[in-house]
Amino acid sequence: MGRGEAGLTAEASATHAAAPAPRRRRRLKLATPALLGLPLGWLVVFLVVPAVIVALYSVNELSLFPGPHSFALGGWYRLFHAGYLQLFWKSTEMSLIVSALVVGAAYPLAYFLALSGTRRKYVLLLLLIAPFLTSYLLRVLAWKVILGDTGVINTFLVWTGLQAKGHALSFLLYSRFAVMLVLGYVWLPFVALPIFVTLESLDQRLLEAASDLYASRMQAFLRVTLPLSLPGVVAAFLFVFIPTVGEFVTPSLVGGTGGYMYGNQIVDLFETGFPDWETGAALALFLIGVIAVLTVVFVRFLRVGEARTA
Amino acid sequence: MDVEGEPFDRRLSRADMLRLAALAAGAGVVAGPAAAADAAIARLTKESGRLQVMDWAGYGNDGGQAMFAAYVQKYPHNKPQFASPMTNETNAYGRIRAGAQPDVFRPYVGWVKFFAQSGLVQPWNPKLISNFDHLNPFMVKAGQYGGKQYGIPDDWGFDAILYRSDKVHPKANSWGLLFDERYKGKIAWFDDLEMITIAGLYLKAKNPWNQTQTELNRSVNFLKSKKHVARMNWSSETDLWQAFGSGEIWIAYAWPNDWVQMKKKKLPVVYMHPKEKPIAWVGMFMLLKNSPRPHLAHAYVDAWSSKRSGKWLEDNYGYGHANIEAKPSSSQLLKALQLANPKAVTLPNAYLDRDIRQRSTYANLWEEVKRA
Repeated sequence: MGRGEAGLTAEASATHAAAPAPRRRRRLKLATPALLGLPLGWLVVFLVVPAVIVALYSVNELSLFPGPHSFALGGWYRLFHAGYLQLFWKSTEMSLIVSALVVGAAYPLAYFLALSGTRRKYVLLLLLIAPFLTSYLLRVLAWKVILGDTGVINTFLVWTGLQAKGHALSFLLYSRFAVMLVLGYVWLPFVALPIFVTLESLDQRLLEAASDLYASRMQAFLRVTLPLSLPGVVAAFLFVFIPTVGEFVTPSLVGGTGGYMYGNQIVDLFETGFPDWETGAALALFLIGVIAVLTVVFVRFLRVGEARTA
Repeated sequence: MDVEGEPFDRRLSRADMLRLAALAAGAGVVAGPAAAADAAIARLTKESGRLQVMDWAGYGNDGGQAMFAAYVQKYPHNKPQFASPMTNETNAYGRIRAGAQPDVFRPYVGWVKFFAQSGLVQPWNPKLISNFDHLNPFMVKAGQYGGKQYGIPDDWGFDAILYRSDKVHPKANSWGLLFDERYKGKIAWFDDLEMITIAGLYLKAKNPWNQTQTELNRSVNFLKSKKHVARMNWSSETDLWQAFGSGEIWIAYAWPNDWVQMKKKKLPVVYMHPKEKPIAWVGMFMLLKNSPRPHLAHAYVDAWSSKRSGKWLEDNYGYGHANIEAKPSSSQLLKALQLANPKAVTLPNAYLDRDIRQRSTYANLWEEVKRA
């Protein structure tokens, strides 16, 4: 074997030895877009494109009505000047209250399921999500039976003498209260699940360490469990807040005149009276925008929290 | 395709048309015009596929089959296929503009002009509807626009007030009962811009369907000031029945069918004839401009227009029917709807609903009331 050959062999073996690495890199380069392609494509087709179409309707570049139409900001002007923002605030307020109350109610529940050490926690969890085996509509309608003037609660109150016959508690149904109650009920499992997952994955040794350092149970909870479960809490909060702020089915069924929400207004602009897709689209985009901003803020808050915890 | 002007221009040649005319005329001599024309049309037009219908809930295969049973019997291969039910005319308009292609759909009389002007529909050819001559002439006229028959009338009824006679004691037979503070929380309004018209009617606007800006402001402010007395704005009859039947509502803006349904529940109810007059409405079948099945559409509407269908509608849904020969079994209904009076839908008995020129303004104002 001559030098040249030896050199060639060395080069070849070096190349041979190094060969798998580029191949792996190439495979990785292909794998990433392949894995991301489907969800990204899905997002583009079913979120970005529809959002762009809605945006075009909001500025009158697209119109339901035939004939010439051009760029106009009438829909956006009406959004900010025709009382829609007050309705948006009312819906936001309702949604914030529901989200906060439901998170407050779900946390102890999730805490018990995740940390009590009960063997039946998954059975209990299954019971918690059991209502999801029936349709959303049925669950909402069932509340009419419970909350109505001749429903379960009012009948019970009359039966116990706490309420005079013929003087039902009318605020229970067709009211803002009814909407918030039903929304809370419907979304409770969605809130409990992410909190449960976070608490269950909590490193138990941290609690033991806290105990070894003479932390009381309350101190351990406040300084270890709660901060570490915050990502789950925030996720749970968003799980409720995002869909409920634009809710329209529940208020349509149990809201009456007082429970009318921003989502109902959007539907009405598209579907009732006379079509005003321009304003409806502006309202819908505004809702998407606000929710996107809030989500970003929450996520940032979460990261800051995580960094501090680390 | 203009059925009235050029009946078969899409699928038939001029020669076919002549043959059709000759056959129809020839058959007419032998077997009567209607049947012969039907047979000729069925043979020659070759309209295929299922008839596409966009109608309200309860008028398709969800309970209204009796209304078009004769059509199904005659055209078993072209049974109607129902799109998801219309929730209102705006919903239908949006869907059609967005690409839905029903052959037939059914807005109400106040929308005839709107749809005729929209360019989405074509006039009917009354000669192809054997029952056309039995339809109430006032309603037939209400279906016309520009001298052409854009709407074929079918069901009709009133917008009026339904109340529990054991709980409610009106001071007068008036639309004012919908705004009566004594019954706060027991009243249901209708979720429609028609409420602006009702307010105008109650407040004596000169023309409630075309109120001046001052009148509109007055109507809207009035509705806002009275909104607290209304517990709900209903948009689905089943919601109203549930609320009324369970006692949550005692007074409601209602249709005759609601009265019938509450009577079936043995509730003591009165269907009031307000002194300001009720508003009468008439359903109008409309034919889409580019329908590929215009003759099947005519046959479908013809089945709906028959005396038999009319009687079924009256007996089962408690609405009137445009066929003046149709009479319900119930004398109570006959009286309540004044079915013996062919002018029941017009003055002096009622205001026939009509086109609202400022429809978008009315709609915006009603939305303003709802979000107030």
